Amino acid sequence: MNHLSEEQIVLHYYGDADETADVERHLAACTECRAEFARVQSTLKQIEPIEVPEPPASFEEKTWLNLRDRLPGKGGFLRKLFSPQTFGPQQKWALAGAMVMLLVIAFLAGRFWPRPMQPVTQQASQVNPQRVILVAVGDHLERSQMLLVEIMNSDAKGPINFSSEQAEARDLLDSNHLYRVSAQQSGDPQVARLLDQLGRVLAEIANGPAEVSPGDLEQVRHTIQSEGLLFKVRVVGSEVNSRVRRPELSGSSVNQRL
Amino acid sequence: MEVTDAAVVAQVLAGDRDAFRVLVDRHSRSIFRVIYRMTGNQQDTEELVQETFLRAYKSLERFELRANFSTWLYRIAVNRTLDFLSARKTHMQTKDTYQIVDNPDAGDSSQIQLSATGPGPDRLVLSEEMKRKIAGALGLLTPAERVAFTMRHMEGRSIEEISQTLNLKASAAKNSVFRAVQKLRQQLEPYAGPGSPTRPVRWGGSAVK
Repeated sequence: MNHLSEEQIVLHYYGDADETADVERHLAACTECRAEFARVQSTLKQIEPIEVPEPPASFEEKTWLNLRDRLPGKGGFLRKLFSPQTFGPQQKWALAGAMVMLLVIAFLAGRFWPRPMQPVTQQASQVNPQRVILVAVGDHLERSQMLLVEIMNSDAKGPINFSSEQAEARDLLDSNHLYRVSAQQSGDPQVARLLDQLGRVLAEIANGPAEVSPGDLEQVRHTIQSEGLLFKVRVVGSEVNSRVRRPELSGSSVNQRL
Repeated sequence: MEVTDAAVVAQVLAGDRDAFRVLVDRHSRSIFRVIYRMTGNQQDTEELVQETFLRAYKSLERFELRANFSTWLYRIAVNRTLDFLSARKTHMQTKDTYQIVDNPDAGDSSQIQLSATGPGPDRLVLSEEMKRKIAGALGLLTPAERVAFTMRHMEGRSIEEISQTLNLKASAAKNSVFRAVQKLRQQLEPYAGPGSPTRPVRWGGSAVK
């Protein structure tokens, strides 16, 4: 009679053997295999789960405090919108295209759409294209700020995989050009100048190598620092956001700069 | 009503980094227990808990919001521990074999600590000796065998869970568990109680088909 293999006996102990019924039938009929199964059982029963000491009461606090400063920032609304769990890669590109189209249409509509002579109060509830662009520029600056902060805080002890930052910079670069042109056309030199500077840095990041050395990273950081770019992005971003929040921007009296 | 893990993840992804603390508070103890069973060392475990959360945070964009966060985190913890054990094994091969210690505060990552409790005073000496043997035998397993054995034997995880967590085929997960038990038997059965020794080894070639 063929005996059970050691593997069959061990797996049967855990209930993981294939052909369980055959194994059980064999064990019922074969004293030798039954004795072997009893030995496996006896040995494994001696191996009790390792008793785990209870971590101290402040364990969660300590873990968080050690962790907090090591966590890089996460993006805002647009980054979330473009995250893999929200949309797949193809949907993401389609969405990006749709958003750019929407912005162009909104911009053109703002410039060329005939404005009916209606009371201000009636228009206040309508969507203002300038406001749409302002919101988009605010988000663009927020995303750019997150990217710059990530780069400034990257650990630079060895070669760094820069591919995700590059992908983000490429995304931002496309919309940056559109917003810069919009800002120039609507007479907002401050925003246009900033987007011009930002575009140069984004291009440097987007066109660099996928793996950067600490020296390369230092050079990018130096460019960001020497132009005070991060500070300017914060200031202008905050100003744009405050303009978005102003109530008069939702009405027809928007004759302000972008 | 308690905010779900998925809602907290969405909050973190929207830029609220501090919201991640909620997930640390909720899951760090269970992750500590999982990792400790595999490393047997408190200091290593504490560091690996941090590494697990750091890795989870960095990969948060890849977390499916419909999935179970604790299962996802568990997988990260096990794989991070496996990497750690592999690195330690390589390091130890150039140094020593494992040292068995009783003092859980010793803190040397090369040492395997023993479980602190025994079945009763009457069997204390035998039990402590057996624990030493078990700890020594566990130290001889490869990292993959040790992790698979811990998951199956100590945590009662299914073969399917082991294969999914370690990204193995089910047959490979079963084989890891079996190889672990085989090595443990070789080390422990000479010291086991009545019933030893095993029958002459001729297993493997004459299986029931």
